[in-house]
Amino acid sequence: MLLVLDVLDKQLTDRHGVRMGKADGLVMLQEGDAPPRVVCIEVGSLTLARRLGRHVGRWAARLARRWGGDRTQSYRIPWTLVRGITLEIAVDVDAEETRVNVVEDWLRIHVVAHIPGGRL
Amino acid sequence: MKRMLEVALGIVTGIGGFLEAGSLATAAQAGSEFRFDLIWAVIVGAVCLAFLVEMAGRLSAISKHTIPDALRERFGIRFFVVSLIIMELVMFLVMATELGGVAIALELASGVSYRWWALPVGFLAWILLWKGTFGLIEKGVSVLGLVTLAFVVGAIHLHPPMADVVRGALPRPPAHDPARYWFLAVSILGASISPYLFAFYSAGAVEDKWDVSHLTINRITAGLGMGFGGIVAIGALIVAAIVFHPLDIQVDSFMQLPLLLTGAFGRVGFVLFVASLGIACFGAAQEIALTAAYMLAQGLGWRWSENLPPAVDARFSLSYTVLIPLAAIPAAAGVDILKLTNISMVLSAASLPVIVAPLLILMNDRRYVRDYGNGWFSNTVVALITALAFVLAIVSFPLLVKGGG
Repeated sequence: MLLVLDVLDKQLTDRHGVRMGKADGLVMLQEGDAPPRVVCIEVGSLTLARRLGRHVGRWAARLARRWGGDRTQSYRIPWTLVRGITLEIAVDVDAEETRVNVVEDWLRIHVVAHIPGGRL
Repeated sequence: MKRMLEVALGIVTGIGGFLEAGSLATAAQAGSEFRFDLIWAVIVGAVCLAFLVEMAGRLSAISKHTIPDALRERFGIRFFVVSLIIMELVMFLVMATELGGVAIALELASGVSYRWWALPVGFLAWILLWKGTFGLIEKGVSVLGLVTLAFVVGAIHLHPPMADVVRGALPRPPAHDPARYWFLAVSILGASISPYLFAFYSAGAVEDKWDVSHLTINRITAGLGMGFGGIVAIGALIVAAIVFHPLDIQVDSFMQLPLLLTGAFGRVGFVLFVASLGIACFGAAQEIALTAAYMLAQGLGWRWSENLPPAVDARFSLSYTVLIPLAAIPAAAGVDILKLTNISMVLSAASLPVIVAPLLILMNDRRYVRDYGNGWFSNTVVALITALAFVLAIVSFPLLVKGGG
């Protein structure tokens, strides 16, 4: 398996097969002399911004601190919950119970709900 | 019966992509200035488009992933962001053009300046997306868009000299004004092979839950839809050649264009023209607004579907909510819509490589297309189109300066 080709930027699907964002980043850990291993997949725009360049990353982080506080931190999915990698990465979590949709939820409540026809 | 309805997707894409402000204006300019000499450009555009649209549909039917998905997943975030920025800019310009086209149709119908119509038209486009579903937009546009066949009927009615028309179907060096000739050729190609169409079509295939069993329908709709669109555009070119060329009329405003159909149909022609322009541009504007939102949502991993209520895919729905009024501003500010059309069609041609070149790789990546990848023939065609796309990208800017005026 090639991490960059097969994992990074791939579509994530949760245990119900629902799309839950892309693998925006990977967290790797190196202990002692052992080769580094992947410990989790990160989902979140801050991770994504960091990959576009140091300046973009810093600017996004500053923006996030001012507007969103802790909620905007990237969500980490432990590698042990990865169930299969095809074109998509199937992970054993429930997207509804995670923070991957915090921005979506915030916009629904604070913006979309105020537009006629925007309520469920 | 269901399958028959699905052919509508191809037809709507054909109309939305072909007869809209861009192809109508460029075909009219080509006909008035070079008579039938540029018919070949419309044919090349239609053939390229048919091949690329078929591939976009096949990619999505097999992989269940859209083109923006694949751009991000296969080529990484950096490539995706570059193509996203280029595509969104071009789509913004084309959407501004199309909203302007609808506004001009309303000015022709009402006498009230197009500037006043731009924002209401944007609002109507938005409310249909906000309240409607993918099927409603797709089928609504495809049925209403059939009015553009008036150009074909008009062309036949005017009895064009068939020998000259057939000769125009073969590429030839320009008889005069080479810069202008090639500029119009590039504009026609840009108007025909619109990059946004592939993203729209592939999203449509996923919205309509296509699978392997849809491959035949995909092939038919790509061929029929694009063929239909191409014939309508050729009709507009022929009509312009017969009506404008003998009178030495140079098209320098959309306001001249109703003459195209009044020549053939009299007063009814005026109504047909206004309806054609308004409907085709409105359909295209909606498709582009959706595609602009699809592109963002799919590449960045947001929830997306035109069939979900806006509350569920808030980011997706808010994307087009922000984009549509912004795109209505140029027309509301009184920008010359014909100039905007020419600029956006040339830039559209210039942006082709970012979506066509990746398609060549994706259509040979077994993880995406499994056993349904391109054969040698399709690969040769798409490689040629990719080469053409790079040539268009390089020549478009100098031609815009030299032949755009």
